[in-house]
Amino acid sequence: MKDMQEILDMEICECAEKNVSQVIETFQNTSLPFKKAKKLVTECNKSCCRAILIKVFNMKDFGRYDYDEIAYAIQQRLERLKKLSEGE
Amino acid sequence: MNSSKWEELKRWLIEQEAIDEDTSSADYISRLDLSCRSLEKLPESFGLLTNLVALNLSTNKLHFLPESCTGLLKLSNLDIRRNMFETMPSIISFLPIRSINASGNRLKDLSALKKCKELRVLDLSANGLSRVENFLPINNELRTLNLSLNLIKNIDSFIENLRGVERLNLSSNVIESITKNVCSLKSIEELDLSNNLIKSIDSAFFDLEVEIVDLSANVLQTLVLHSLESLDKLTLDGNEFESLKIEKNFAPYLREFSCDSCNLEEFLLPSSESIELLCYSSNKITSISKEVGQYTKLLQLDIDGNEIQELPDTLANLAYLQTFYAKGNPLNEHAKKVIEVLSPDICDLNMKSGIVIELAKSEDLKEMANLLSVLFAIETDFSFDFEKQLSGITKLFESEGSNMLVAKYESEVIGMITMQRLISSAEGDYIGQMEDLVVKEEYRKMGVGSRLINKMRSIAQEYGYKRIQLAADVDNSNALQFYNRRGFNKSHLNIYHYIV
Repeated sequence: MKDMQEILDMEICECAEKNVSQVIETFQNTSLPFKKAKKLVTECNKSCCRAILIKVFNMKDFGRYDYDEIAYAIQQRLERLKKLSEGE
Repeated sequence: MNSSKWEELKRWLIEQEAIDEDTSSADYISRLDLSCRSLEKLPESFGLLTNLVALNLSTNKLHFLPESCTGLLKLSNLDIRRNMFETMPSIISFLPIRSINASGNRLKDLSALKKCKELRVLDLSANGLSRVENFLPINNELRTLNLSLNLIKNIDSFIENLRGVERLNLSSNVIESITKNVCSLKSIEELDLSNNLIKSIDSAFFDLEVEIVDLSANVLQTLVLHSLESLDKLTLDGNEFESLKIEKNFAPYLREFSCDSCNLEEFLLPSSESIELLCYSSNKITSISKEVGQYTKLLQLDIDGNEIQELPDTLANLAYLQTFYAKGNPLNEHAKKVIEVLSPDICDLNMKSGIVIELAKSEDLKEMANLLSVLFAIETDFSFDFEKQLSGITKLFESEGSNMLVAKYESEVIGMITMQRLISSAEGDYIGQMEDLVVKEEYRKMGVGSRLINKMRSIAQEYGYKRIQLAADVDNSNALQFYNRRGFNKSHLNIYHYIV
């Protein structure tokens, strides 16, 4: 299991090169709904990291961040991208 | 029951801190939480738990379940998410299971599900599944199925047996088309197809009695929307359309329609009179038709990030409009006047950027004490006295176990919140008591209160507080609604005070 700082440093959004800590900070500093808050993070209209960002955004609303769940979701996404690039 | 086997199982369960010493018989155990324990296997005697109804084995390292688990004759709810199963445990075929969460495994073989006739809820998300054949019995009771975050390309091979499914999540797969076989979804109410590679949709899709559809983040280029008589909510965000058209007979009771980032040049007008939310943000729309005034029930309109200069006067007729996002458009003076007349509760044009949330400093204390006058004007139990409030705020600032946050705009304190550490005998640990949440009148409806509360909640999480509590004036209906919407539950306790 990764420690807290390692998880906070994990990259979520490749487009804007944002890590978990920056995403949480951005979401906490806005009261905009998800679609708009997502654009504050990604600075684009793409949807590559949408699924994970929804998860983190919902955690903000819920009031508790499950850092293991975030790390797991990021790893899952990377594994999926790897499999897709291998043409599986 | 074999008592030595029970003693052995009991010892193991106590070691896992799943039961306490007082549990005298396996018969008394109906629910077990064995999650997050790095378990690689369960003891052979596990089947002694014949009254077990719910079993949580999530986040372990399990590959299989022992054969004796066929003895769990009442097991209805099984959570094996985040383990290492490659084969769905065969024991489930013998049990009356109604709900299985098998998300985050490495499942390849789902054949055990073929005999699960009583299954109602199934989560197979994040398993790397690519080829999925009919994995359910023909006559099944499944209502909710989550297959998101897999690598499924073709849904035709299993859709036939999903006749009773009401909620189907297929998001984040690699589905390329919705074929005529989609008509098998006879009972579907919610369908999530977001984040796929869908290029084409067969006409059979438009005959479904589905209520909620998410088709966002696909590669649809051409679409003519029609029929879908029961549709309540449609999301098409992130499809780069070359052509998107809506026919008159499309979704007569539609309430929410979203086309964020869809390459649209035209403001489309669904014919439903029930529309409450329209989202056309981040497109290339240049004008809004005056017919927008027909949506008399509209609560939220989002047109931000377009090329709109003018707004029709009819917009001002939308009496129920609460939220209006219009930033990122080259709006002219007339358009700004229309918004002024419209006067929605929340409008991004009125929001100020640059409001920061930070820990209070000693130089903020006077402004904070003054700010409390806004709060005490509402709360009938208290009257404002600057000296008393400054003294209180200063003591709080200096006391260990207290936290104070301020919202600032251009160095001015425009909002605040405080939290003090208490010990709860009920929780057996520390909890946080939140107080003094207040935002200056002219900065309300900009989300400042939410940001203060979110930040304070994450501070409480860092401290490991078991609960956060607060008191709000019973006459302050805005505050009561605000806390409700943010997940605070009203307790049954009344607050009394006694002047010493």
